[in-house]
Amino acid sequence: MNLTQHPQLLDQLAASYALGTLRGRARNRFEAMAREQAPVRAAALIWQARLGSMAELQHTAQPAPAVWMRIDNLLHAEKESKAMQAARAAPAPSASGLSAPSPGGWLGSLLLWRGATALGVAATVAALVVGVNMREQLGQQITERMGSQIATLRAQLQATPQIEYVAVLSDDKSAASILVTFDAKNRKLVLQRVGGYTEAGDKSLQLWALPPAGGPRSLGVLGSDKVLNFAAAEGDVREVPTLAISLEPKGGVPSAGGPTGPVLFKGALIQKLL
Amino acid sequence: MALLDRVAARDEAALKALYDLTSGKLYGLAVRVVAHRDWAEDVLQESYLTIWRVAADYRAALSPPMAWMGLIVRSRALDCLRRRTADRSTVTQELDDTLAETLEGDAANPMDTTQASQQAWALHQCLSRLENRQREVVSLAYLRDLSHSELAEQLRLPLGTIKTWIRRGLDQLRTCMARFA
Repeated sequence: MNLTQHPQLLDQLAASYALGTLRGRARNRFEAMAREQAPVRAAALIWQARLGSMAELQHTAQPAPAVWMRIDNLLHAEKESKAMQAARAAPAPSASGLSAPSPGGWLGSLLLWRGATALGVAATVAALVVGVNMREQLGQQITERMGSQIATLRAQLQATPQIEYVAVLSDDKSAASILVTFDAKNRKLVLQRVGGYTEAGDKSLQLWALPPAGGPRSLGVLGSDKVLNFAAAEGDVREVPTLAISLEPKGGVPSAGGPTGPVLFKGALIQKLL
Repeated sequence: MALLDRVAARDEAALKALYDLTSGKLYGLAVRVVAHRDWAEDVLQESYLTIWRVAADYRAALSPPMAWMGLIVRSRALDCLRRRTADRSTVTQELDDTLAETLEGDAANPMDTTQASQQAWALHQCLSRLENRQREVVSLAYLRDLSHSELAEQLRLPLGTIKTWIRRGLDQLRTCMARFA
């Protein structure tokens, strides 16, 4: 049938098509006609636009403030992981540094420096992760014939992929302060203090997971050691985009509630395939 | 809206401003579709991240900004409903209760004219001329993407009644909208 000669029927069908109540074979027939006949297509588009504004006609309601915080956290996590990827993809900094001044000038060199820093961090992280795995597999032997062992071990590690998570927690000046790695095999989080920060005697640092939904979850309270181990299941870190460390009273937050002190360090948690 | 252009240019402050300006309206929409406040918050979160990623694709000539963002929220909300219904069958029961409430509600369709497009204003005028139950059934069919029989099942009303309400509602809407064309 040529719908264009029945404007009222066309309007009717287009309206129920856009509303979504035109279903099954009737819907398929209408779509087929819309593909062939421009007026049918136009009628469908008009009704989709008309009903689309129904979205604007709903009651206003106030979402919890935590929603924006989650969006903000995810944005930062996304940005940081992109920066890491970009840094890995970038050419080696020494080679580029020696070439003629880049067309980007000052900004270009800034990006380059950022890239170089991120590359350095990535290298440190990789080294540490390899180190952690090496220690558990090699034990005492590590002191002997280290060079050749590393090569074989690397090959072994690459042959058996193991999921690892790493995070570099930085302060508000982007200085790396705490390195966090998750060891899936031994189910522990390994924290290493890499900055010069020392909390006062009556304070403790506490590590938090900031999951996309729900409030912060405590992962543990840091002792004063340079390297710390927390027991953790993979469920504690899986799909957590961000980790953060807050300054709390000695011994950490007493109740099951969220952080009470200021957040000193935070960073994106990145899943690695080794 | 210039804000969307700034969001497309990766301006985080603009996203925050956009959120402050529009989250109330869009959250209201999400609550209406998924009928759970915490689900609606998840939907809202996903929607703004989507807006952040696809703002560059927005074309002002094709649709007003609120309608465009509304479409994103609606489709995320429908995704959420599909996921949840697949998870548990109890969901529809909870939905039924809120649906029954909206049907009984006598309040006129809400309208905040400060951000609404002309198109939305016209639709508002036409919807407010419908009987309450017709307006609600037409709105729910669209917002939750429900068929006649799904509506009948969820509202526990005879299929014939639903079909009649929808047909009459749409007919009146068509006559009315034609005047604004």
